[in-house]
Amino acid sequence: MAETDIVIEICGSSGEGTISAGEILARHMSRLGFEILSFDSYPSEIRGFGKCVAHCRISSKKIMSPGKYTDILIALNDIHSISQLSSMKENGIIIYDSNPLSFHEEDKSIAGWIEPGITAYGIPFYKLSQKAAGNSRNRNIVALGAFAALFGINDNGFKASMEQRYASKKKSIIESNLNSFTEGFRWTKNNITKLDNLFFKKPETGNAPLKRLMMNGNQAVAMGALDSNLHLYAGYPITPATKIMEILARELPKKGGIMIQTEDELSAIGHVIGAGFAGKRAMTATSGPGFSLMTELSGLSVMAEVPAVIVNSQRGGPSTGLPTKTEQSDLNLALAGGSGDSRRIILAPADVEECYKCACLAFYLAEKFQTLVVILLDFFLSNSIKNIKEPEKPDKKMLNANLAPLQDEIKDYKRFKVTLNGISPRSIPGTAGGMFIATGLEHNEKGKPCYAAETHKKMSDKRYRKLSGVLKEVPHPEWIGPKKNIKAGILTWGSTAGAAHEATLKAGESGIRAAFMRPMLISPLPVEQIKKFSDQCDVLLVPELNYEGQFAGYIAKYLERPIKRLNMVTGLPMSAEDILDEICKIAG
Amino acid sequence: MQKKDHYVIIGNGPAGNRASEIFRENDKNARVTIISDEGFPFYYRHKLLDFLSGSISDESLQVKKHLDYKKNNIRLRLGQTVTKIDPANRVLFLKHMEKIEYTSLILATGGTRSILPSLAGFEKYFSFMTNYNEALALKPALSGIKKAIVIGGDLISIKFIKMLINMGKDVSFFLCKEGFWPIELTEKMSENIASRMKKEEIKTILDDYPVNIFQTNAGYEIITENGEKIKGDIIFYFMGLKPDIDFIKGSGIDTAEGVLVDEYLKTNYKNIYACGDCAQIYNPEFKDYWISTGWDNATLQGETAALNLLGEHKIIKPVPHKIFEVEGIKVNTSWWKEIQE
Ligand SMILES: Cc1cc2nc3c(=O)[nH]c(=O)nc-3n(C[C@H](O)[C@H](O)[C@H](O)COP(=O)(O)OP(=O)(O)OC[C@H]3O[C@@H](n4cnc5c(N)ncnc54)[C@H](O)[C@@H]3O)c2cc1C
Repeated sequence: MAETDIVIEICGSSGEGTISAGEILARHMSRLGFEILSFDSYPSEIRGFGKCVAHCRISSKKIMSPGKYTDILIALNDIHSISQLSSMKENGIIIYDSNPLSFHEEDKSIAGWIEPGITAYGIPFYKLSQKAAGNSRNRNIVALGAFAALFGINDNGFKASMEQRYASKKKSIIESNLNSFTEGFRWTKNNITKLDNLFFKKPETGNAPLKRLMMNGNQAVAMGALDSNLHLYAGYPITPATKIMEILARELPKKGGIMIQTEDELSAIGHVIGAGFAGKRAMTATSGPGFSLMTELSGLSVMAEVPAVIVNSQRGGPSTGLPTKTEQSDLNLALAGGSGDSRRIILAPADVEECYKCACLAFYLAEKFQTLVVILLDFFLSNSIKNIKEPEKPDKKMLNANLAPLQDEIKDYKRFKVTLNGISPRSIPGTAGGMFIATGLEHNEKGKPCYAAETHKKMSDKRYRKLSGVLKEVPHPEWIGPKKNIKAGILTWGSTAGAAHEATLKAGESGIRAAFMRPMLISPLPVEQIKKFSDQCDVLLVPELNYEGQFAGYIAKYLERPIKRLNMVTGLPMSAEDILDEICKIAG
Repeated sequence: MQKKDHYVIIGNGPAGNRASEIFRENDKNARVTIISDEGFPFYYRHKLLDFLSGSISDESLQVKKHLDYKKNNIRLRLGQTVTKIDPANRVLFLKHMEKIEYTSLILATGGTRSILPSLAGFEKYFSFMTNYNEALALKPALSGIKKAIVIGGDLISIKFIKMLINMGKDVSFFLCKEGFWPIELTEKMSENIASRMKKEEIKTILDDYPVNIFQTNAGYEIITENGEKIKGDIIFYFMGLKPDIDFIKGSGIDTAEGVLVDEYLKTNYKNIYACGDCAQIYNPEFKDYWISTGWDNATLQGETAALNLLGEHKIIKPVPHKIFEVEGIKVNTSWWKEIQE
């Protein structure tokens, strides 16, 4: 049976229910057993009538990237939707409002821009919403009804999913939504002749709908933090990280934890380091501008060897930049932001599952290696929703990673004892006899400030040495594709990995010797594995979403070879097609 | 800044296309827009039968590709229907609720199926073949048809029957003299056609007429005036074309059977011209109007209408009689001609 792999976009203006329609659709298709990867984009300004797009790829096979070209566009707002036409497939399908309240001025109607090859279905969203709900607010739900009717999706199942989604709402709201769905469904069945050949072929999942968790990267990070016994979250709201704070504000107190909204990001990182010093797991989440502010105090975490976790969800920069556009341009800041030699641990998840994994890992590593861990998300990853299998929760070892001092070590307690692996026994304030000085100044083994060249060297060695242990804690990067004679080797990081992985597989299908590798651990870098991979590649291609090629620059010093860069700063995630194009060029 | 002229053409057939080329050639800066309610780009209507029978692809049906319009900076709006014209304010209203302003307008809406009033009540039982969509819809059904009834009176129906016979179908043919199109049949001509058809073992009914039609489990049944019962899986209806102008009526543009234009193809509005199958053209010699039809004729009129709108004074004269041949039967037609590409 042919596979289903369909990209849908719902496009509307703020307040038209675009994102919620996308969410309902994604949830229902997930219940039907499809793989889902969705991604919403919306205007930066909180108020106003900007463009909202719910982008959703629905597939019967494993998917790793959101898909560049749209198969089905549901246009809730004509003007905004016109700008989405350029990303439609040549034989795409458009569902639009055929009976708006008034005439569109010239060129302001999506139906006026439909090109041959595209199939367009005009459905009177406005009229049907008025009929079903007495107002035009439910146009989004009418559209979902029309969508279900057009593509052979059972209406009762869809309505059951909607009921579940609206379970907490008033009965009248649930009913008006169900009525609107039914109106859209019925009208379409009775009035529209299907002209396209697109159907969703139900995946084989047995009879029971698949049990999956639908969540985005931010939710996964928050869930990972909660499951890792997070005690304190301190943060200042900023797009695209705010959602993490919102979730934790609700959930953390239920588990006896604390959420503090601080006056700014400096204070937030201060709180986190304070809590970490006190032996509690603590975290903050921010984006570029906030992360820049945190660099000063984050050095303290390194120097005073205090566990701290910062989640930085990258957006377009520099400065306040492009708040609702995705970019991977804070790598340099994450690697080197702050004074002195302050290497820290950096994790870059590639997808929603890894967001959870990295959150759990971050607390473990921060605690075990007594230092700062930065998780690099980005706008796309923060907001991309996937239906994932229930993740494996952190085990006992992961939850208790602190190396407490032994009884005889307490006698002459050296908080910063120089050890073979660089990790010193760490007493938690309140431990009898475990008192020590914690400072941002260079210090001796007891923590006493000391600027002697020998001490600084010894302590720097220790702080760097302990990080090499991290390499053993994080799974080695997977090597996808042939192991020898590779024409194009793709090496990337973070959320670009999904597209790169897919592009590599597609290239392989068309006979190109392409291989792919992506480290989740960015610092310290698993140089050995990367070098082995690189040695087998004729051309090493590094695709990433920044202008300079920050990751390419970072690995160059380890690899000492030419690196081909593929950089994009469009504000959108890189697509498999973009990377595949480049691979094809390399392969000739 | 002064707004650019906007030449809008309704209809993407030979008349409309030729007009658009003239506008573009003569006015490089103006906006030129073609609006067509068909979703398929400009195609040879006379090749529809070959398309239906599967002997040509839809690629070879096309006259021009969408890209050709883009290259010439002509905005082609396909699958869009004009529902109303407001000539006083120079605005068109489209079915999908968009308004378009024009400075000059060409009506080239062609013809639509014409149904005899006596059979209008049975329209829902008929299959038609006047445009791409109808051909496309018929295509999959055709292979399952064993016995077809053709109610016809036009040149297309005769070609169509030939195609059905070649495909091994059993055909019953009502030859309706009164509605024959685009010519009138003489007694002699219809007898000629009938005898040719009979030679091909086509049941041809010449002096009888459907009075009632039923849908049955097996298909359709026609009861004739003489009480005969004719059965078939499908009924094809061909009775020529009539100007497609319903949406223009009542707009203020003068119409009768077609859009009334003078010999320069101008309507009663100085910035609105009509051409091709939708126009009803005044002939000062006969002091009467004539309705145009045929591919080449539409092309010539499209050119003339556009040139006259741009300031020339070209006159359209009825095309001289031509000999038209269908299945070896020669018929005179003033407007019809086999197209040679
Ligand atoms: C099956 C068939 C076979 C034929 N064979 C021959 C032949 O062999 N030789 C010959 O000379 N002629 C033939 N003809 C006739 C010939 O095709 C027509 O005379 C010619 O196409 C007329 O051209 P036109 O530009 O006036 O209009 P058309 O080609 O009919 O084009 C008019 C267009 O305008 C569109 N339109 C109408 N109203 C609206 C509206 N409100 N909004 C938007 N768009 C609208 C129509 O859908 C149509 O696409 C045949 C016709 C048919 C149907």
